[in-house]
Amino acid sequence: MMNDTPEMVKKVFAIFVVGILIVGFFMAFTQMPKANAVNVNNTVSRFYVMKDVDQATEMLDKGTYFNKDMVPLRNDVPYTPITFGKSANLEDGAANVVTSIVVDYRGFDTLGEVTVLFLAASGVMLVLHGQKRKIPKKRTEPSEIMYVGTRIAFAVILLFGIYVFIHGHLTPGGGFPGGAIIASGILGLFLGKQGYSPNKSGLTIFESLSGMAYVVIGIIGLIGEKSFLANFLPTGTIGDLFSAGFIALIYIAIGMKVGSELSAVTNAMIIDTEDD
Amino acid sequence: MIDFLQNWIYLTGAMALVGIGLYIVLTNTNILRIIVGLNIVDSGTNLFIVTIAWHPKSVMPIYTATNNLVVDGHVVAADPLPQSLVLTAIVIGLGTTALALAIAVKIYQKYGTLDVRKIKEEDK
Repeated sequence: MMNDTPEMVKKVFAIFVVGILIVGFFMAFTQMPKANAVNVNNTVSRFYVMKDVDQATEMLDKGTYFNKDMVPLRNDVPYTPITFGKSANLEDGAANVVTSIVVDYRGFDTLGEVTVLFLAASGVMLVLHGQKRKIPKKRTEPSEIMYVGTRIAFAVILLFGIYVFIHGHLTPGGGFPGGAIIASGILGLFLGKQGYSPNKSGLTIFESLSGMAYVVIGIIGLIGEKSFLANFLPTGTIGDLFSAGFIALIYIAIGMKVGSELSAVTNAMIIDTEDD
Repeated sequence: MIDFLQNWIYLTGAMALVGIGLYIVLTNTNILRIIVGLNIVDSGTNLFIVTIAWHPKSVMPIYTATNNLVVDGHVVAADPLPQSLVLTAIVIGLGTTALALAIAVKIYQKYGTLDVRKIKEEDK
């Protein structure tokens, strides 16, 4: 049996394995650029920051960015300076560069990410399906203050979640954090009243519609523009609320989808893990 | 040594997180603790990916009224591409954790224990 090995030997062995991993890490560090020397000017990301990916692609096709020795990218690339609040009609109007990459340049990848989250949520609901809630023997009803307070807090949290995903292209945040914030508000409702359960079919319909909205936006891009999930709206002035084209629309869809999905997961887990 | 830590504190932290998580996974037999260990490894890798795109003088990659990302044709912001990759990884980590916890609930209902050795003995 496995139990013959003393506990101490196992721990020493585990420390040994972890030590080997750490030595491997250190060896990787020597290959990496030194601290304080990470230079975005020599990487692909500079095109995302300067918002001239189309121009970079054109020049890459002509071979002007690469020399024969494959030194990655040159520094003397022309660029148009971007001023907050003034530059208009850029390639991508989002002030938040990370958002512009996640939703615009890598939008298809984000669609896959949403699909993974959807699969995980439906897996949770499939595994925990069909379980009845046991009535606890020692009931401790939440007080009236808890009940009213969670409801007031839910309104504020919902508003804040909506703010986070509508301003995803201007401030840190976006659809996923916004949805998680909304789901945390619904978790508060569970705490406020014993036996609370959200409208399951409503959540499902909400989730399906918002998931479909993402794909429909992508197909509109396919019809109106060149490719699937292409930006079909004007990009506007950088820093405005109504800028960055379809990024706000997609983030609204993602925020509603993630919020309802995580609420449904919370619902499944709370009901099915409640003990007597 | 102090100089090393000042320059590499986040890389060292990421490495420590991965090491701690792996140690937890290797030494514990409780499924819930193994899931927690895997989550710590997840955090460590995310921190590692963000850190290699960062340097102490970099600014956040968001255009604001006072935050200029490009100065004299040189990008001074942190690299936004690994950050967006980590954004994806965080969400997928959340989904896999939720699924793992649901399966752990089912395992507890079937075997009455979360210890992987006892589950193995009961299966024989």
